[in-house]
Amino acid sequence: MRKFLGIALALTMVASACGGSAPGGSDSAALAPSKDVTPAATITWWHAMSGVNGDALNKIVAGFNSSQSKIKVETVFQGNYDDLLAKLNTAIASNAAPALVQVYDIGQRYMYDSAQVVPMQAFIDRDKFDTKDFEPAVINYYKYQDKLQSMPFNASTPMLYYNKDAFKEVGLDPAKPPVTFTEIADAAKKLTKKDASGTTVRFGFGPSIYGWLFEQLMATSGQLYADNGNGRDNRATKVVYNNAAGKAILDWWKAGVDGGYFFNPGIDNDGAANAFNAQKTAMYIESTARLRGHITTVAGKFDIGTGLYPRPDSKPKEGGNIIGGASLYIMKSRPPAEQQAAWEFVKYAMTPAVQGQWQSDTGYYPIVKAAYDTGPSKEWSTKYPQFLTAITAIRDSPQNRMTNGAVIGVMPQARMRVNKMIESVLLGQATSQAALDAAVTEMNAAIDKYNKANP
Amino acid sequence: MSVRLVLTYALLVVGSIIVAFPLLIALSYSLMSESEIATFPPPLLTTRPTLNNYADVLDTIPIGRYLLNSFIVSTAVVAGQLITASLAAYAFSFLVFRGRQALFFVFLSTLMIPWEATIIPNYMTIRTIGWLDTYQGLAVPFMATAFGTFLLRQAFLQIPRELWDAARIDGASSFRFLVSTVIPLSRPILGTVAIYGFLSTYNQYFWPLLITNQTLMRTTQVGIAQLRFEETLRFGLVMAGVVMVAVPTLALLVLGQRQLVRGLTAGAVKG
Repeated sequence: MRKFLGIALALTMVASACGGSAPGGSDSAALAPSKDVTPAATITWWHAMSGVNGDALNKIVAGFNSSQSKIKVETVFQGNYDDLLAKLNTAIASNAAPALVQVYDIGQRYMYDSAQVVPMQAFIDRDKFDTKDFEPAVINYYKYQDKLQSMPFNASTPMLYYNKDAFKEVGLDPAKPPVTFTEIADAAKKLTKKDASGTTVRFGFGPSIYGWLFEQLMATSGQLYADNGNGRDNRATKVVYNNAAGKAILDWWKAGVDGGYFFNPGIDNDGAANAFNAQKTAMYIESTARLRGHITTVAGKFDIGTGLYPRPDSKPKEGGNIIGGASLYIMKSRPPAEQQAAWEFVKYAMTPAVQGQWQSDTGYYPIVKAAYDTGPSKEWSTKYPQFLTAITAIRDSPQNRMTNGAVIGVMPQARMRVNKMIESVLLGQATSQAALDAAVTEMNAAIDKYNKANP
Repeated sequence: MSVRLVLTYALLVVGSIIVAFPLLIALSYSLMSESEIATFPPPLLTTRPTLNNYADVLDTIPIGRYLLNSFIVSTAVVAGQLITASLAAYAFSFLVFRGRQALFFVFLSTLMIPWEATIIPNYMTIRTIGWLDTYQGLAVPFMATAFGTFLLRQAFLQIPRELWDAARIDGASSFRFLVSTVIPLSRPILGTVAIYGFLSTYNQYFWPLLITNQTLMRTTQVGIAQLRFEETLRFGLVMAGVVMVAVPTLALLVLGQRQLVRGLTAGAVKG
């Protein structure tokens, strides 16, 4: 079912995003309702946060509802990110969309092309809302042609997780995690352990086959993923990762798996995380948002260290990490009063106190820098010092088109295609260059089709 | 003879372990703590069983309400399907009217339309009637089934024509014949249609997600999705939820198994 949804989503995206010119003209403030519109009494917010994160989200809403008496926000959980977007798609067709929606990072171009969104920049310009204190890497991710389309809400970034006890055991310095491809391969060889019968009981490194990780490796290599400035100066027409940098990533990965010191969990993020928890792998790369889960599950059985995300040996200075997560969109189909109310809520959610609490409840990092000075955030950093790596990684990343990350209308599909590409190389079904070329050709055709359907 | 018997049973035991393995491992994991699941190699049985996962499920989602909702909706769908399918199948097998064959094929051809293609129109209809967030919105779109009608028609055709003639001579109406003769004779196949309808409704995910916005109107499968966190998967928690949701369907299967097996093989010999 999930797979079906993915495909259906990709198809319906092509089919139904037609019509209407995209927003974001020269005078963007005019797109927002006028300042004197009275906010609606009730608005609905669709989100995809379950469990602990869902509770944290509802806590923000409860705080907002009790902080004033004019507006009441109601939240509705709509399944995971893919389900939510599929549902939104259906609702847009019959004019039943809510005022505020949380959409994942890779739904950005689709939301823009749907022409159903009031760009966040319109409200920002209208109210001269100050975004100086916002984390640049986060806010830049949600900009198209330098205009903010949605308000970042939950942000994360990938980093290296490693087992400090295993490092000590084989004589590696647990305070100095490897960073470059060669350093990681060397450390992984040392960390790999075999039993008497020659079976590997611990692999050095075990990343999941996950398109997002490949996107990040392209970014730390200082390379574009798609043309037209990763689709940020203008709509992307091609993906361009079939170059030397892309090949170097795949060759490094493949050599590790073939050499028996990288573990291949398959296309399975949870599997990779569990292998690390079970000490079957000593290092792996994943989102910062998983940190808390790791610490809880490992429960002191070994010391978890975190380090910078892998990059080529040359450490390109224009390379860095892209953020991931989701953002909030205000929908155009709702009456101005509701849009106004949604904006009031967004402003509340961006206050340092709320952001600090959100960080400590979830493990996403704050979007507003001032949040780090709040009590809950400080407590969190003391409890999970490993988290600071993520902040450093994103602060140290230079801000350019490479590290802003790619936006493509068919991004969910692109990510799945990269999964297939990596898998075919690791399983020896194709050489790295052939796999890259095949994926690029196929994706370019899909992008072309999408662009033609959304003129 | 007895060697053969032992061998047969040994084979059956191995086979049933393989078939039941996913269920048994779900049960076993639901009783494990998260750090125990994370050990390598993964243990098959817990050494320290805990009910924490079940408590967490109850804390996270209103599972009782979800089970009730799923049960109400599935039962309503089964009742609706049995009524509409048996009436339609009766017409297609006993009544003679112009264009019967053509109409039947049109009926069958709807089997070729994937349900997904009709999601948006159905959604708009339900929304226009104002049935979002209601039991009727969840159930009514599934109350007619081409597959069930087809199955019942094939079964009804097996009923000797002489019974129909006899009933007519005794002055029974079509409805009387259906209720007093056809339905009692077709119990196995009706059971099959009922179980199939119940399970497929019970397992629905996208439709309930689509048309409900209130927590209290949601169904079990949406509830399970709520246990899957975006960033960390807690196997124990999800498995506990799965076990709680699977118990009613398993109970139904055990109770209805006899009917189901008979229903599936009915007519298998005669073709």
